[in-house]
Amino acid sequence: MTKYLRAYSISLQETLQRRTTLMMDRVGGFAIVLSLFSFWNALLGDKSSFLGYSRQEMLTYVLLINVLRALVFTGRGWQLVGEISSGRISSYLVRPIDYYGYALALDLAQKTVHVVFAFLEVAILAVFIRGALFIPTRWETWLMFVLAAGLSSLIFFFMEFMISSLAFWTSESGGPLFCFELFLSFAAGAFFPLDVLPEALRRALSATPFPYMVYFPARVFLEKVSPTEAAKLIAIESCWLVVFIAAALSVWHVGVNSYAAEGG
Amino acid sequence: MRGTIAKYSRIWLRTASMGMQAQLTYRLGSFGFLLGKMIRLLFFFAFVIAIFNHVEAVAGYNLVETALFFLTYNLVDMLAQIFFRGVYGARRTVTEGDFDFYLVQPCSPLFRMVCSTVDFLDIITLLPVLVMIGMTFARLPAYPWTAYAAYVFLIVNSVGLIFAIHVWAAGLTVRTQELENAIWIFRDVMFMGKFPVDIYSSSVRAALTFLVPIAVMTSFPAKALLGLLTPSWMAYAVVLSVSATVASTYWWRSCVAHYTSSSS
Repeated sequence: MTKYLRAYSISLQETLQRRTTLMMDRVGGFAIVLSLFSFWNALLGDKSSFLGYSRQEMLTYVLLINVLRALVFTGRGWQLVGEISSGRISSYLVRPIDYYGYALALDLAQKTVHVVFAFLEVAILAVFIRGALFIPTRWETWLMFVLAAGLSSLIFFFMEFMISSLAFWTSESGGPLFCFELFLSFAAGAFFPLDVLPEALRRALSATPFPYMVYFPARVFLEKVSPTEAAKLIAIESCWLVVFIAAALSVWHVGVNSYAAEGG
Repeated sequence: MRGTIAKYSRIWLRTASMGMQAQLTYRLGSFGFLLGKMIRLLFFFAFVIAIFNHVEAVAGYNLVETALFFLTYNLVDMLAQIFFRGVYGARRTVTEGDFDFYLVQPCSPLFRMVCSTVDFLDIITLLPVLVMIGMTFARLPAYPWTAYAAYVFLIVNSVGLIFAIHVWAAGLTVRTQELENAIWIFRDVMFMGKFPVDIYSSSVRAALTFLVPIAVMTSFPAKALLGLLTPSWMAYAVVLSVSATVASTYWWRSCVAHYTSSSS
């Protein structure tokens, strides 16, 4: 465990050391949130609610997207693809560590930094809208939100890990990864609440793990689901996590067995 | 002059052809990237349509007008991707020493750096955007031919302005051998042009018009077509584009003059 904590600590320092890259990443993310926020603000106009969300709830959803994107979608998929394709993965395979544990430690370090910055950005926007945000008062809501968001972050990690592992068999796994990330952003509700979509499409999506990434944690935070339903959703989310852990590790082990250490 | 244009057109077509052949070789990767680009376009378009199932106007614009803004953003963004893709790999070009070869070739190093990498997938993605713009035009009231001419003229002007920004970013990379993220920030901030600039607060609108002129690139052409842009704003757009192009070219020359080769 100590070695993974050390990897986490080193990665944290490394992320903070590359200040310009970090700042640029955050500026880009902030632009997207500001844009979506302004869009919903203009759309709401003087309406008191839209699609069952009050003005306060809808604006909170948009700001929550920023935090959840930082927590869930900050990942190392592209690095893994690069490491496998270039052969750099070999140097990790001969070390006395489990690569996925090591990758998870690095992933958590990046997420830590990005989530802190995401909260700061949200705080700036919250000042501009003079605190017109929905803040849950029940402690159970906070607990369930943290649980739901934490689980979705882990689901994304293992999903991305699984797709990136395709690089063991093809040097073209970047294409499927790019497609997966874009589809996931929309299907997870990371641009807009899924309530906007037609009922049939929403039902189809709810049978997949995607809405558990952003949409459901946000609804839990906004208390749009009862505590019982939230607990049920978290249970389903946990099942999805188990499925993806098993799938990702299977793909990884098969991939490592077939790995021929191409490259330097 | 005609000879120069013919020469550079030939080089561009040759590099585009080579790019296409490379992408056809990597079928799975190319398919993934193409599908991802289509997903991004279609999901956002579906989002805009879905929103207008619930409201009649956003910031005073109806569905067709909002679609025009959104598609104009996509058109400008894709044209920039098609013609100025090289900047995204500028850092690698410099650090791996390829820029040294550009300097000794009988061709402008600026052209080689900025324009001679063509992503064929962007050309394919442009086609549905053009079809959708045609369909949007058909649903708009009939405007005088001068409005359409102003739209096309301002699209070309936007591409000129984006060229200036890409040249500035390429110069920065040559000068510092890093900061390739500068162009990615621009791409993220460009996201704000997906919607009419009128949705933003007056201060953000001012910043998008004068500081980072995303509004000039994406909203001005659509506004000109709708008859909402005064001649003085059109003149501003042209002056801005010309002066930015001149200034960025000087900046590029200064950066190249300071270049001392960074690779062995």
